[in-house]
Amino acid sequence: MSTVPVVEMHGISKTFGAIKALHNVSFRLMPGEIIGLVGDNSAGKSTLMKVMTGAYQRDAGEVLVEGRPEQFRTPHDSRDSGIEMIYQDFALCGNMDIAQNIFLGRWPRRGLFIDRRRMYADAEAVLKRLKVDVNSVFQKVESLSGGRQQSVAIARAISFDPKVVVLDEPTANLSAMATERLLETMLELKQAGVAQVIISHRLTDIFHVGDRVMVLKRGQNVGERQIGDTSEEEVLEMIVKGTPQEEASDI
Amino acid sequence: MTRRATGPRPPADLFGNWELGLLVFMALLYAAGAWINPDFFGSSGAFLAVLRDAARYGVMAVGMSFVIVNRDLDLSVGSTAGLVAVGFSMFYAPAIYDLPVWVAALLSVFLGGAIGLLNGVLVTKLKVPAFIATLAMLFIGRGLVLGVTGGKTIGYAGKAQADAFFLMGETNGLGFNNQIFVLLLVGVLGVYALGRTRWGYETYAVGGNALAAEYAGIPADRVRIRGFVLSALAATLAGLMAVAQDKTVTSQVGQGAELIVIAAVIVGGASILGGRGRVLGSCLGAILVVLIDKVLREGVPTVRTVTVGGVEMQIQGMMQLPPGAVPAFLGVILIAAVLIEPLLIRSGLLAGFWATLRGRPPPRVGISDGIAIVGAQTRGTRSSAREVGATWLGRIMARREFAAVALTVVLWVIGAVLRPDFWFSLDNSFNLLLAFTEVALLALGLTFVIANGDIDLSVGAVLAMSGAIAAFLMKEMGVSPPLAAVAAFTAGTLAGVVNGLLATRARLPAFVATLGMFYVARGIGAWLVSGRQLSGFPEGFNLIGRKLIEILIETGIAPAPGTIAYNVAAAVSVQTIVMAVIAVIAAIVLGKTGFGYAVIATGGNQRAAEYAGIDTRRVRFVSLVFSAMCASLAGIVYIAYLRSFNPSAGLLRELDAIASAIIGGASIFGGYGSIAGSLAGAAVITLIRALLSLQLLLPDGTSFVMPQHWVNVFIGLILIFAVLADIWFRQEGLVERIRAALAARRTRER
Repeated sequence: MSTVPVVEMHGISKTFGAIKALHNVSFRLMPGEIIGLVGDNSAGKSTLMKVMTGAYQRDAGEVLVEGRPEQFRTPHDSRDSGIEMIYQDFALCGNMDIAQNIFLGRWPRRGLFIDRRRMYADAEAVLKRLKVDVNSVFQKVESLSGGRQQSVAIARAISFDPKVVVLDEPTANLSAMATERLLETMLELKQAGVAQVIISHRLTDIFHVGDRVMVLKRGQNVGERQIGDTSEEEVLEMIVKGTPQEEASDI
Repeated sequence: MTRRATGPRPPADLFGNWELGLLVFMALLYAAGAWINPDFFGSSGAFLAVLRDAARYGVMAVGMSFVIVNRDLDLSVGSTAGLVAVGFSMFYAPAIYDLPVWVAALLSVFLGGAIGLLNGVLVTKLKVPAFIATLAMLFIGRGLVLGVTGGKTIGYAGKAQADAFFLMGETNGLGFNNQIFVLLLVGVLGVYALGRTRWGYETYAVGGNALAAEYAGIPADRVRIRGFVLSALAATLAGLMAVAQDKTVTSQVGQGAELIVIAAVIVGGASILGGRGRVLGSCLGAILVVLIDKVLREGVPTVRTVTVGGVEMQIQGMMQLPPGAVPAFLGVILIAAVLIEPLLIRSGLLAGFWATLRGRPPPRVGISDGIAIVGAQTRGTRSSAREVGATWLGRIMARREFAAVALTVVLWVIGAVLRPDFWFSLDNSFNLLLAFTEVALLALGLTFVIANGDIDLSVGAVLAMSGAIAAFLMKEMGVSPPLAAVAAFTAGTLAGVVNGLLATRARLPAFVATLGMFYVARGIGAWLVSGRQLSGFPEGFNLIGRKLIEILIETGIAPAPGTIAYNVAAAVSVQTIVMAVIAVIAAIVLGKTGFGYAVIATGGNQRAAEYAGIDTRRVRFVSLVFSAMCASLAGIVYIAYLRSFNPSAGLLRELDAIASAIIGGASIFGGYGSIAGSLAGAAVITLIRALLSLQLLLPDGTSFVMPQHWVNVFIGLILIFAVLADIWFRQEGLVERIRAALAARRTRER
């Protein structure tokens, strides 16, 4: 396995008016690694990921993708570099069907017209790769359950052949079964070499699939652990009582 | 590239069950029409005439489909068609510019496209809600048409004979009008554009979830602007078809077309919440609505058999509606069609019924509060969320009203400078106060509705309906004044109840519910009056509309003429006092009570208010009812003052009242609004109207008065500017942003 991190961030800071959302945070993601990003509300988890994808512009710090410094202006720039984000509300159009959503905004065409046969065939292929069971690609997304909607969002993400997938609170609205299936999917993606970041409140999920866990608190990094070397109790204690490791990163 | 992907056969996407249902329904309606009135419906000529008239609306419906699927609304299509028809006629007519026909047509297309572009930019880049922007455009366009033509007809039948362009409106060798060809062509183009091209798919995505579309790289703003431009261009074509047929133009062209077109698109299966709809359905919807419109207008001969004393007698009659009443039915159809979607389709009622009939389990019901609706709610809350954090909220609130007060003073001084001889006269003060009272009454109710984040477009129409009912009951039915007033007030309140139920129980956007009521109430009013002269009410009733001084004189406690008390009593009328009392109560309720806070909270962030245990549906319902109550009161006062009912009662008043509230500090997105501000805003509007219709004495001894149509154009512009100023200065903090940007640059330079 390559030793160059697929994404690396150093000294990221971001303020919104008077609020320091992120302060001197560093982050590293290896190919095929699954990292859990945990912390209280407003700890800066989503902000950090949005800085990574270019949805927010950082005030300070640098972002490296496969060793190259990058300056993403929008999430579309980072998508071109192989970073995909799956939003908590999935960002799908309920009025359109599964295939139309998977290819949202880049529907295949034949001349002037949408090539519907190819779109549905390709969508079917992507869903097969993901091993999700949806009855048909013609189903409207709004008629799907939360878990299936998420499958569509993930299918959409992997149809870009990403190197990195960020999942923002993926299990928040899922049933136990759907969560189980999602975690399986994540492990399969990992097998395919896709690095993943999972933002979650549910430590159990992170301990189930994750390789490493990173704890943020009030916009600062309070610690990192390999999943094998730690326990849910220790991570929980870091979330509640952790102190920033500023000295370490300053030196 | 000849690779033909194999895979499952895609489902039909251009034609569906809905269209099939429409066709069946239309066939049944036509058969029923032919059975009832063979003279009208039996001939093929009548059938072709329906198609010919439907052609223009069908073309507009094709364009409107894009707008509505985008989750927007274009109320200005009728005015655009009218403006283009008038524009073309002026360019072409030998008596005016006398340009060649193709030049005139090309200029017309530019004119129409420009209107669409303006609508689109207002709605997307400048963030004005679509119904407000296009409503203002509707009235501006109509005012321009009237102003430019001066109400006169422009004809050019002679010159038209030489130009092939006019073949578009002619009957061809096959025996039907070429406009049907045009509809066919535009329809096929539209069906494929929306159903099978990237443009269409982008439209569905933006209408379904604009945020998701943005994430996916679809330029949502550009897609929406495109919708408005397509709609305006379709209206342009419709306007050109109208002049090609008539070879003359009147100021009436396209009037009320927006109602038929929107109803057609909704009847055609599109969802007012965006994301759903097909062009074919819209075209069929247009034919259906025009057919209904024709039936309503043509009148149906009826033969009733009555048995009198054992002898059967046939009584022949003619069922016909007065022309003004037709919109009432179209408004009902519009609302009914909008309701079909949430009540029948989304609830799975029909599909379940069908499945039960075939002995199968009912299909899974879609999540009614699904993705599509969540997207809509995140839109307005952003600005309010930012404002809450500001500690100087109190100061902003103070400043919100300040603008209106300052404007009032400035405008009043301008009036005094322009015509000092007239401005200070008792007559002028009285008229100003009276006009102010009517606008202020409407603005009072609207303040609650707007602060709630809703809108009430029906206030002017409810005013007219209440006035018409009171006048009708007293004059035609001989009902006593108090009873007539109570009945009119009850009817107006009922209109508010319907508005409220539609907006809160059926969950229609308030602008759709009240737009329907706008046509229904005005239609009912016109129906009741229908050509009768309703005037000369009992004196007891007229007392409501009298000056205070007359009542004081009657009761014998009047102050001596010439004193200040006398002058005040002569300028103030009873309705002003009524309005003032309501204003005080409303101000206390909105500013000091829990209900008032609930109104503001609901408008600020409905979901948060619900989490906090506020019954937001009740709050919104009460506000809409209160608004209708104020409007019906204004209607009763209106006829008491004028001592007659005028069908133009309350016309354009919705614009005045909305503009008053916005100028007075209310936000079109909800969450802000104050009674004091709305009163000051109403004063601003009143003064602007008075100034615009002021007779100016020019230095050379002549005088100048602006025609009324142009005044209406200005009021439309003022509404747009008020909303723009609210959005950009109050909500988006444009001044602060520029200042911050300048400051940031300065620190960087250092």
